[in-house]
Amino acid sequence: MMSSLAKFGASIAKEARILGRDRQALILFFSMPVVFVLILSLSLRDAFGDRPGATFPVLVVAQDSAEVGHAIIQTFRANPHIQLALSRTASEAQARQWLIDGHYRFVVLVPAGATDQAKRRLGEILASVPPELRIEKPVEIRVLADPAMRADYRQVLESSVDLVLHGVEMRLAREQVEQTLRATQGENHMPLPDMENARLFGAVQGETVTKQGRGQTPSSVQQNAPAWTLLAMFFLTVPLSVSFIKEREQGSLFRLQTMNVPAWVVLGGKAVPFFVINQIQMISVLAVSVHVLPLLGGDRLDLGNAPFALALMGACASLAAIGFGLAVAMYARTTEQAAGFSSAMVMIMGALGGILVPKAVMPPLMQDLANLSPLSWGLDGFQDVFVRGGGITDVLPEALGLLAFSAFCHGVGILRYQGRI
Amino acid sequence: MSKPCPLSTQIPGPAVGRPAIELKGLGKAFPGRDVPALDGIDLAVPKGTIYGILGPNGAGKTTLMSILGGLLKPTSGAACIDGHDTATGRAAIKRILGLVPQEPAVYPTLTARENLDYFGRMQGLSGAHLQARIQACLELAEMAEHADRRVDQFSGGYRRRLNMVIGLIHEPRILILDEPTVAIDPHSRSLIHQRLRELHAAGITILISTHYMEEAEHLCQRIAIINHGKLLVQGTVPDLLAMQRDKTIQLQLEGDPPADLEARLEGISGLLEVHVAGRCVLIVAEQPDSLVAPLMRAIHERGLGVRSMSFGTASLEQVFLALTGSPGAPK
Repeated sequence: MMSSLAKFGASIAKEARILGRDRQALILFFSMPVVFVLILSLSLRDAFGDRPGATFPVLVVAQDSAEVGHAIIQTFRANPHIQLALSRTASEAQARQWLIDGHYRFVVLVPAGATDQAKRRLGEILASVPPELRIEKPVEIRVLADPAMRADYRQVLESSVDLVLHGVEMRLAREQVEQTLRATQGENHMPLPDMENARLFGAVQGETVTKQGRGQTPSSVQQNAPAWTLLAMFFLTVPLSVSFIKEREQGSLFRLQTMNVPAWVVLGGKAVPFFVINQIQMISVLAVSVHVLPLLGGDRLDLGNAPFALALMGACASLAAIGFGLAVAMYARTTEQAAGFSSAMVMIMGALGGILVPKAVMPPLMQDLANLSPLSWGLDGFQDVFVRGGGITDVLPEALGLLAFSAFCHGVGILRYQGRI
Repeated sequence: MSKPCPLSTQIPGPAVGRPAIELKGLGKAFPGRDVPALDGIDLAVPKGTIYGILGPNGAGKTTLMSILGGLLKPTSGAACIDGHDTATGRAAIKRILGLVPQEPAVYPTLTARENLDYFGRMQGLSGAHLQARIQACLELAEMAEHADRRVDQFSGGYRRRLNMVIGLIHEPRILILDEPTVAIDPHSRSLIHQRLRELHAAGITILISTHYMEEAEHLCQRIAIINHGKLLVQGTVPDLLAMQRDKTIQLQLEGDPPADLEARLEGISGLLEVHVAGRCVLIVAEQPDSLVAPLMRAIHERGLGVRSMSFGTASLEQVFLALTGSPGAPK
C-alpha cells in the first residue's frame, strides 16, 4: 500500500509539473471564470433583484399640466426604477420616433386637457347622465413601449399608470362632491371624510424569506459567481480528457499498464491537480466577487455564513467534473472527439442547468428539465448558501447528487480503463 | 499470488532451465474480424538469447507484443514470461520484464531525467537507488548532458534512446522491444544495437520485433517469422539461411522488367517460386543450377540485361520473401 501511495504521489507530481509548464493554459483556467463573472455581473446587475439601480428611461409627454399630468409625473419621479424625462410640447409622432431610436423604453402620452375632460365626464356621471347620453368620452392615457422590453415590465408600468389615474379619479370625485355640497348647502355643508388619508389597507409589504430572515433577493453576482465557477470547473473536462488521450496516443499510458500500475494511481494522479485547479478557480472567483466587483460598481457577493458548506459544494462539483472528464477520455478515440464532445456536453448541461439562462426565467417544463443537469445541482447548492442562508445540511442533497454523479462517472472510467467494459 | 504458468508442467527440470518467454497455441481473435490476429503460435525464447520476430505489416507482431505486455488476453493458448502467465501474473512479471513500445512512450514536456524518475517510481524504485539507476540509464543512452532538456526538444533518435532506457530503469531480466530503430539516424541505431549486445552479454534475454532484415540477421541468434497470425518458421539464423541456401537464385536486372515477367518465368520447368520486386528477381527451385541457362534465355528474350546473379547464398531477406510472399514489406 505504501508503494502505491508513493506512486500516487509521483503521479500527482508528474501531472502538476506537466500542467505547470503550460502557462497559457493555466492563465486561461484561472482568468476565464473571473473575467466572465466580472463582465456578466456588471452587465446584468440591473436584470436581477430588487435594486434601485435597475432603471429604464421613460418619457412622459404631459401636454396636460393639471392634476392628471402632475400626478403621473410626481409618481414616476418618486420611482427609483425610472429615469424620468418630461416633455410638454412633443407630438406623438416625435415621441414614437424617439422610442424607435432607442432614447426611451416607454413613452406615456397625457393628452392636452386631460384633467378638464376628466372633470367634465365626472360631472356627467355625478349628474346621473345615462352612459349613452354622455358627451365626454373617457380620457385616453396611452403607454408606448419598446418591443425589446419584457412584457412583465410593460405590465408593471401600465398598472402603475392605472393606479395613479385611479387616485386622480378619487380626488377629483371628492372635489366635485364637495363643490356640489357647497353649492347646495353653503359653506357650512356636511364635512366629507378625508379620503386621502383614509386607506383601508396598508401599503403591500414585499419580503423574501430566508433561513436567517435576511430579506435579500439574488443579485447578479449571486447568480453569476457560482454559475461561472461551475461552468469553468466543468470546462476543465476538456483539457483533462485531452491530456489523458494524449498519454494514450504517446504510449505512456500503455507503458504504465504494462508496469501494472493500479488504475486508481493513474487516474487519481491525473485528477488531483485538476481538483486543486478547480478549488483555486472557485476561491479566485469568490474573492473577486467579494473584493473587486464592488470597486467596479457592482454588488458585493454575500458569501453567507457557511464556509464549510461552500467548501463541500466546491469539492463535490469538482469531483463531478473530473469524473465526467475521465469518463469522456475513456470512450473518446481522439483528442478532437474528446474536446468536441466534452465542451458540447458542458455547454448543454450549462444551458439546461440554469448557468447561461437563470432557471427563474425558464418556463416550468424547462425548470423541471434543469434538474437533470449536475450543474443545476451545483448552482442550487451554492445559492442555498448565498441567497437562502443555508448551511451544510441544506446543501447535502445537492452535494450527494454531485457525488453520486462523480462516483458513476469514475466507476465507468475505471472499468473502461481496466478493459472490463 | 499469480497462477503458475499452465505451460510450466510441460517443461521438466528446474526453473533455470525453462524458457524466458514461452507461447503455446497462442491465439487472439478480435470481434468482427474473420481472420484471427494470432493463430496457434508455439514459440520458446531461451534465456540469454536475442530473439527476433519478423513479419510484414499486419502479421500479428503488435498483437503478440500487447499480449506479452499484459494489455490483451489471448483467446486461446497461453503466453508465459519466466514461468508466469501474462494474463494472471502481471505483478511478478513487471519486476522481470522491461517493455519498449514502438513509439517513444514518454512525456514530451518533461525532461529526460523527469521521465526516468517518474517511470522509475512507477516501477517501485526510490531514493538513492532510483537516482543511481537514472544516472546509469542516461549514460547508457549517451544523453547525460541532455538529461535536463525537455523531450519535445529532442531529435527522433534521442527520443528512441530514452524510450529504450526507460524500459531498463528497473534492471529487467527480460527485455521486449517493438521495432526500436524505426526512422532514426544511423548513429542512434548503431548505439541501440551496441547497447543491446552489451545487455545480451550481461545475460539479459531480448525479444525484438523488427522490419529490418539486416538488423535481425546481425543482432539476433534466433528468429521467428510470422505472417497472417501464424508462425511460419523459427530457428537460428544459420538454420533459416540454410533453408533457402541451395534453392534460390537472385538476379539483379539492368532495366525495369515488364509486368508479365513473373508470369513468363513461372512457365520455366523446374521452377518452384518466382518473386519480382523492382529490378530484383528471386527464384526458388529444387535444382537452381539447372535453371540458370533457361532463366537467362527467358530474360534476354524480353530484351533485358542482367547486372548480377547469385545463387547458393541466401540472405534473411530472401528467406523472408520466400516465406511471406511480401516483397514490399522488408527493408
